[in-house]
Amino acid sequence: MTAARAITCPACGGTIEVRAAGFSVNLACVHCGSLLDVSRPEVVLIERHAEAARAYALPLGTRGVLYGDEWAVVGATLRSDGEASWQEFLLFNPYRGYRWLVLFEGDWQFGTPLTDRPQGDGVRIVWRGEGYAAVSDPTVTTNQAVAGEFYWRLAAGDTAQCTLFERGDEVLSRECTADEENWTHLVPLPGALIAEAFGPAPAQPGRRRSAPQGFSAAGAKPQRETGDRDDLVWMFGLATITAIVALFAMVLLAGPVSVVTGRIQVPVGSRTQPERIGTITVTRPYQFVTITADTDNFHNRWVDLDYSLVDRATQQSTDAYGLVEYYTGTDSDGAWSEGSHRTETMISRVPRGTYDVYVGAEAHGWPSDPVQTPDAWYGTETISVKIDARTGAMSWGMWVTLLLGLLAWPGLILWWRNREDD
Amino acid sequence: MPVRGAALPYATCPYCQTLILHDARGVEEVGKVAVLPFDVSPIQLGTVLRPGDQRLTVVGRVRWAWSGGSWNEWLAQADDGTPCWLGEAAGLYMLTVEAQQWLDLPELRDFVAGGPIAPGLAVQLGARRLVASDIKEVECLGSEGDLPLPTQVGTRMASIDFRGTEGEVLSLQRDGRGASAWFGASWDLAGLRATNLRAIAGWTLPKDLQ
Repeated sequence: MTAARAITCPACGGTIEVRAAGFSVNLACVHCGSLLDVSRPEVVLIERHAEAARAYALPLGTRGVLYGDEWAVVGATLRSDGEASWQEFLLFNPYRGYRWLVLFEGDWQFGTPLTDRPQGDGVRIVWRGEGYAAVSDPTVTTNQAVAGEFYWRLAAGDTAQCTLFERGDEVLSRECTADEENWTHLVPLPGALIAEAFGPAPAQPGRRRSAPQGFSAAGAKPQRETGDRDDLVWMFGLATITAIVALFAMVLLAGPVSVVTGRIQVPVGSRTQPERIGTITVTRPYQFVTITADTDNFHNRWVDLDYSLVDRATQQSTDAYGLVEYYTGTDSDGAWSEGSHRTETMISRVPRGTYDVYVGAEAHGWPSDPVQTPDAWYGTETISVKIDARTGAMSWGMWVTLLLGLLAWPGLILWWRNREDD
Repeated sequence: MPVRGAALPYATCPYCQTLILHDARGVEEVGKVAVLPFDVSPIQLGTVLRPGDQRLTVVGRVRWAWSGGSWNEWLAQADDGTPCWLGEAAGLYMLTVEAQQWLDLPELRDFVAGGPIAPGLAVQLGARRLVASDIKEVECLGSEGDLPLPTQVGTRMASIDFRGTEGEVLSLQRDGRGASAWFGASWDLAGLRATNLRAIAGWTLPKDLQ
């Protein structure tokens, strides 16, 4: 459970979490957008609205770790200076206080409120011994929309005089309102770090339902939609290209093929001594070796296989293990079968050298070994196992995993969109 | 107007919310204190602060409200008994110690006598110039622990903060019993080297504060 104060919106009756209880003063209801005073035990409606919160790049309540501390997104606001508009997010951690994230034209900044005030005139200022130069004249910035909670009485329509001072890529921002002057220190933050910390930006609600072209509000082109669709095509394209490149790379890395095959007979109920099948050669510094065991048709038996690759030069042995098992039976659901007559074992990083391939085996019956009758016509029951050992093998499993990984994200988006359409 | 002393004669009973006055004459019920509203403050009674080479223990709290919000004032006591106020707002802290001498400043005489203070009024404290930036009439929302002032429902006072450029603050308080002055600086929890902080469900206590 997370420590949060649950309140009921006096406008719409929805339940809202106050995440920075005791610090938050104003809260814009996530359900209806109404502005509430949450500074006292009794919640007071300041201004009634009836529209849900607009979509922000980071959803309220999302948490992420930045600079080693966990932060919860508790407030979001859309601001504009008349020319450009951008999003600002209020981050909260009860042990660290408040920070800001600013998203301006795709670039992120991390902001820390200052307790000390820079000194100087409106053009050049000094803060903690370093000089900063004003980037522009003070501009009036308007909060066009607010969502979530804030530690002061922020409301949509509020304005502030903002001035930015720069030193390299560090920015000091001064915001003046009628009775307050606030300074924030901003540093750039790569978008990848934000995505890593808070997860990818969510789909914009309603985006797929936008009005037909020509009907969109204020004549604005629904660029987002076409943009996102193209992104998906790109994602699939990129995934396919990556998969093909990886396939070629893997074939190339797998190296030349050296094969040996042989057959061993394994009596059921006993164990065979390791038997030499033949010789394979690893010509690269390291290669994969795949050993395939193929058996004849049996039921309710299992065969343990012990593989050894013995280096002729050093007599060092590389060991691996395989299991062939196949069971059938009947139960209340009818006939069933389980297992396979074939198994593949992959040995990774086998160093360069010539290897003798030895196979030892042990076969048993299930649930118990068959009784060996001395006068049986067929002698002892044996299982014939065909062994194929080869170098230069490629790990198809790895490639399929890569393919799944590559297609998972665009596939998920595609599924999500189709789900939205239903 | 008398100037208020700094002893801690008031205690809030944590079970029945009764405000108790205990002094040389004995123990007396003063009134009822409102239950503190839920918050996610990391401070609690018993939290230890180590600003510089001092060691302070939190022994009480008052929650004040004004038209623009509300905040906690924690009373922290040094090992030698010196009281300090730890103001907690917007995730930042102001730690002040009593500095009654500044009440003798000519600019503040009118305030001590019950008059108002105009925003922007500047005072010179030695080499520092501080400007009146926060002028509030506040009302008590509740309290806990040991305190130097009564906090029953309806308690009101004037609270004025003068601030300097380096985060230093002069905080003036005035209620029916007199005026007091407190001087200090802005801090964060890491700077205060706070320990024995409150565990808050859903949040991890940072390593440097454990």
